Amino acid sequence: MNPIDRKLYLASITDRYVKGKMDRRSFLRAAGKLGLGAGVLGLSSMMPFGGRGGFISPAAAAEIEPDAEMMAWLKETAKPFAGQTVRLATESTPPSNAINSALKPFFEAATGIKVEIEVLPLEQVLQKLTLDVASGLGTYDLYYIDQSWMASFSGDVIDPREKYAASTDLAMPNYNMDDFLPALVDGISMYEDTMVGVPYDIPIFITMYRADIYEELGLKVPTTMDEYMANAVAIQQAKQPEIYGTNGQMKSGHYSLECDWTAWLWAHGGSIFGPDGKFTGNDEAGLAAMEYWIKLKENMPEGVTTWTWDGQGQSMAQGIIGQALSWGEFFPFWDNPEASKVSGLMEAAVPPAPKAPLRTTAQTGYGEIPGVGHQGGSSLAVSKYSKNEDAAWLFAQWATSFDTQVYITTLGGGTGPTRKSVYDDPRIKANSKKGIGGTTRHLDAVRDTIANHMGSEPDLPQWAELSNDTIPVELGRFWAGDYDSPKAAMDSIAEKVDSIVARG
Amino acid sequence: MTSLPLRAPRIFISDRPLPWLIPLIAILVVFALYPFFYNIYLSLHEFVPRKRELIFVGIENWERLFEDSRMWGALWITLLYTGICLAIQLVLGMVIALLIDSDDPGFGILRGLLTLTLVIPPAITGMMFLLMEDAQFGVITYFLQSMGFLTGGSILANNTSALVGVMLADIWQWTPFMVLIFVAGLRALPTDPFESAMIDGASSWQIFRRLTLPMMSKVIAIAVLIRGIDLFRTFDYVYVMTSGGPGTSTYTLSLYAWQQTFSFIKWGYGATISLFALFVILIAANIFVSLTKTRW
Amino acid sequence: MLLSPTQRLLRAFAAWAVVALFVFPIYYWITVAFKVEREIFSLPPKVFQFTPSWKSFEEVFGVSLGFENGLEVIPGGGNFYMTPRLVDSIVVAFFSTILAVAIAVLAAYALSRMRIKGQHHFVFWILSTRMMPPVAVAIPMFFIYKNFGLLDTHIGIILIHALMNMPLAVLLLKSFFDDIPTEIDEAALIDGASRFLIFRKIVLPMAMGGIAATAVLCFIFSWTEFLFVLTLTQTSLKTVPVVSSTFVTSTGTAWGNMAALGTAAMLPAFIFVLLVQKNLVRGLTLGSLKQ
Repeated sequence: MNPIDRKLYLASITDRYVKGKMDRRSFLRAAGKLGLGAGVLGLSSMMPFGGRGGFISPAAAAEIEPDAEMMAWLKETAKPFAGQTVRLATESTPPSNAINSALKPFFEAATGIKVEIEVLPLEQVLQKLTLDVASGLGTYDLYYIDQSWMASFSGDVIDPREKYAASTDLAMPNYNMDDFLPALVDGISMYEDTMVGVPYDIPIFITMYRADIYEELGLKVPTTMDEYMANAVAIQQAKQPEIYGTNGQMKSGHYSLECDWTAWLWAHGGSIFGPDGKFTGNDEAGLAAMEYWIKLKENMPEGVTTWTWDGQGQSMAQGIIGQALSWGEFFPFWDNPEASKVSGLMEAAVPPAPKAPLRTTAQTGYGEIPGVGHQGGSSLAVSKYSKNEDAAWLFAQWATSFDTQVYITTLGGGTGPTRKSVYDDPRIKANSKKGIGGTTRHLDAVRDTIANHMGSEPDLPQWAELSNDTIPVELGRFWAGDYDSPKAAMDSIAEKVDSIVARG
Repeated sequence: MTSLPLRAPRIFISDRPLPWLIPLIAILVVFALYPFFYNIYLSLHEFVPRKRELIFVGIENWERLFEDSRMWGALWITLLYTGICLAIQLVLGMVIALLIDSDDPGFGILRGLLTLTLVIPPAITGMMFLLMEDAQFGVITYFLQSMGFLTGGSILANNTSALVGVMLADIWQWTPFMVLIFVAGLRALPTDPFESAMIDGASSWQIFRRLTLPMMSKVIAIAVLIRGIDLFRTFDYVYVMTSGGPGTSTYTLSLYAWQQTFSFIKWGYGATISLFALFVILIAANIFVSLTKTRW
Repeated sequence: MLLSPTQRLLRAFAAWAVVALFVFPIYYWITVAFKVEREIFSLPPKVFQFTPSWKSFEEVFGVSLGFENGLEVIPGGGNFYMTPRLVDSIVVAFFSTILAVAIAVLAAYALSRMRIKGQHHFVFWILSTRMMPPVAVAIPMFFIYKNFGLLDTHIGIILIHALMNMPLAVLLLKSFFDDIPTEIDEAALIDGASRFLIFRKIVLPMAMGGIAATAVLCFIFSWTEFLFVLTLTQTSLKTVPVVSSTFVTSTGTAWGNMAALGTAAMLPAFIFVLLVQKNLVRGLTLGSLKQ
C-alpha cells in the first residue's frame, strides 16, 4: 500500500472503531497489519484531542483498556436496561468531549444502553435544562449542572447519595463516594441539604506565568497580591509593546467578568453577600478590590473588556501576556506546540495569598465561600423526570468512576479530576511532561488550590440572573466609563442586586 | 361570442379563493395563532421556579414592563439599530442593485458572489466579525489602525462604536438581500417605457425618479417591511458579539426577551416583552403601510 | 441603458470593487479554515501569507485528505464530526423551501387574481405572523412538538421553517403575479380554461423568475435559522448554525474548525442559489408579453 492509501485505510478503521462498529481486538489486528502497533506509532505522548475534542489518535484510543471488573459488573447489572437510550445535554468541556469522542463506545458496548450526548455552549445548556424542567417532560435523563445554577435545579434531580443507598443492586462496587474531594462536594454539589449531582469537572483559578520572562526579569512566583501586581507591572514596563503584564476575561454582560471580579473581591477580604443576605461588594474591602483591579488593568491589553475566557486563553497562547490568574483548564492547551506559541514556557502555581483575611461562611450569605481560587465546577445529575432513571444512574456512576476519570484526564483536554485518587495515578503522572499537549503537570497546583485556596460562589435561585446579567452588565458599564467612580458603580450594583433578591 | 354567457358561471365557480388558501390558513393557524394566544396566557402568569408551575399574576407583568427602565433602554437601542441599518441597507442596496443590474459579461458572477454573504448563518457571521473586530488580533481593527481611523481603543469595548461594530455585521450580511430583491424587481420591469423615455431625452436621474422607483414601489415596500421586521427582532449578532454590552449599549429587546425566558426562567415576563415587541412592530408596520399607500 | 465603452468599463470596475469589499470577510474566513491554530491570531493578521493546512477540514468531515506529513492527523468520530449535520441542513432547507413555495404560490395566485373580502387585512395578518420574536414562538412549539412526536424530527423542523418563510413567500410571489397582466388570464378564462389550468400553464411559467428569487430567499432563511432548530432538536438532527456553536468550548473556541464548517456549508447553499438564479433573466414576465 502506498502511504496515502495506508492513511485512508487507517482513517477508516479508526473511524469504525471509534463509532463502535469494530471491536478493539480487530482494530488492533488491522492496525498491526499496517505495521502500526501503538508503540510503532510512537504517539503515546501526543495530544489526542487537539485541545478541543476534535479527533482521536488511534494510539490513544487503542491504549484505552477499561477496568475489566467494572465493565463486567456493568454488563451484568445493565441487562434489564439494554436497548434503552439515555440523553445528556452538556457544555463542551474536557470530560464531556473525552466521553463523547472516545470513551462512550465502551460503556455502550458493555451495557447495551445507548448514550446520546448533545454538546452545546454553556448558555444553551441552561436553555435546554430550563425547558426540560419547566415542562417536566424528561427529554433528558441526565443534567450537566454548572455550580452557578445549582440552586435553580436542586428540586429537579435525584440525590445521588440516596440513589446509591436505595438501589443497592445498582450501586457500583468500589464507586467510593468519599473519594471525591470534600471541598468540591461542598462547592459544586451541595445545595442546602440536597446533593444535586456527582462532582464531574473542576476548572479552577490558578496562577499561570511565563517562566522564561520571569527568569529574564528576575521575578519570583507571586505569593501575595502585592507581588502579583508588582510582577505584572514589571513585565509591562520591560516588555511593552510586544508583551503585556497580564490579561483578563472582562467582557461586559458575560459570566466570565463576574468570575474575574469575585477573585479580586475575595482576595481583598470582601464578599458578595453579607450574613443578612445584602450585597456587600460596595463595602471597604469591595472598594479596595476595585482599586487593585483598576491598577492591574493598566497592565492589560485593550481587548480585555471584549474577551471572555476564550480571548484570554488565546492571547496567552499567542505569547503576548506575562501572567494570569485564570482557569487551569487552559494549561494543557497552552503546552500544545501546534496550537500555542508558549509551549513549554508556562508554569503553574497556587493563587497568591489574600491581602486581607478571607471572610468565613458565617460572615457571608447563601453559602458563599471566599477564596482566591475561583472555581467553576459542574456536577452530573440524574433527572427526576427521567423515564430511564436506572440506566441514567449507571451511566452517571461510570462517567464519574475512578477508571473513567483517569482516562478522561490522560486523553488530554485539560480536565480537573474531582477524585483524590486520580491525581496520584501513575498514568496521570506519566503525562506530566513539558511541552506536550494534554500535559498534566499543572495538576499539583490544581489539587493544592482545591484543598487550600478555593472560592465558591453563593447558591441562591436568583444567582443565575445575578451572575450572568446584573453584575457583569454593571461592571461592564463601569469599564466602559459610564460610572464616575468604583463606589458609584458598586452602589448601583448593590441596589439592583438587593431588589432582585428581594423580589424572589 | 354568443357562447360567452354560458361560460360565465364556470368562471364564477373556479374563482373561489378558499381552496387556494386552505393550506396557508391551516399552517398559519397551527403555527402562528396558537403561539400568539399561548403568549397572552403566559403574560398573565409567572413561573415559580421552586414549585415548577405557572401561577396567575393578572396584569402584574404588564405593570412591571412599563416601569422597567431596562426595557425602555432596550427598545430605544432596538429602534436606533433598526432605523439606521434599514436606511443604510435600503440606499446601499438600491445603488448596488442598479450598479450590477447589467448583462455585460461578468455581472452574473458578481450577483452570485454577492449572495454568498447571505448563506452564512448570522450566528457564524457574528463570530466572524467578533474575530475581525478584536482589539488585538482583528483584521478590521488592524486596517483601521494602520489607516489612522482608529487610534487605540477597541471597537466593541466603547459604548458608541460597539453599536457601529454590530451594525457593520448586519449591514454586510443583509445589504445583498436588498440587492437580490431589487435586481429581481428591476428585471421584471417592462422595457418599453424606458426606451421611450430615453428617446424623449430624459436624464438617468429623471428616469430613476419617475419610472424605476414608482414601478418598483411594491417590491421596495416588501423588502423594507421584511427587513424592518427582522431588524427589529435582531438577536444573533448582539448575542454573539457583545452580549448587549458594554453595559447595555447594544442591548436589544429580543435579547432581553430571550434572557428573561431562558436565563432567568421568567416565562411570563419574557412573553410580555415579546408581545410588547410584537405590538410595536405592528404599529410601525401599519404606519408604514398607510404612509406608503400600500394596498394588497 | 446605453453606455459608452468608457462608462461600461468604469461601471464594471466599480461593480467589482464593491463586490470585492463584500467578499473580503468571506475570503478572510476561508483563510482561517486553512490556518493552523497558532496562525489565526498572528500579529499583524495574516491575510495572504500563511501555510495552508487541511487539518480543520479533516477533523470536521472525518476524512483524511492526506496532506499532512506522517500520521499525525487521523480523524475519527468525535464531537467535531459534522458531515451528517451538513446533510441534515440540506434536507431541511430543501424540503422546507419546496413546501413553503408550494403553499405560497397557490395563496399568492388567489390573492393576486381574486378579490377577497378584507383582503388587505388578511395579507397584513399573514405578514404579522413574522413579527413575533422567535423566542416567543419557540416555547409553545416545543410543547406542541413534544405532544405530537415532532420534537427532534426532520419533519418538525421543515414545517416550522416553512411557516417562518410563509409571509415573505406569499408577499413576494403576490407582487410578482401582480406584474403579470390580468388580461391574459381573462382571455383564457373566456376561452373556457379553468383557473388551475391558467395558473399552471400560463401564470406559473411567466412568474418563474419571481418564484426562483423567492425560493432562494426561503432556502437561505432556512439554511441560516438558529433558535427554532436549537429549541426543537436534541440529538437526531441539527443544522449548521446550531452545530457551529459546538466549537465554542470551555477551553476556548476552535476557530479553525468553525471556519472550516462555515466554508464547507457555503457551498451547497451557493450551488442552490446559482442554479436557481439562472431564471432571473430580464423580461421574462412583462417583456415577453408585448408581442
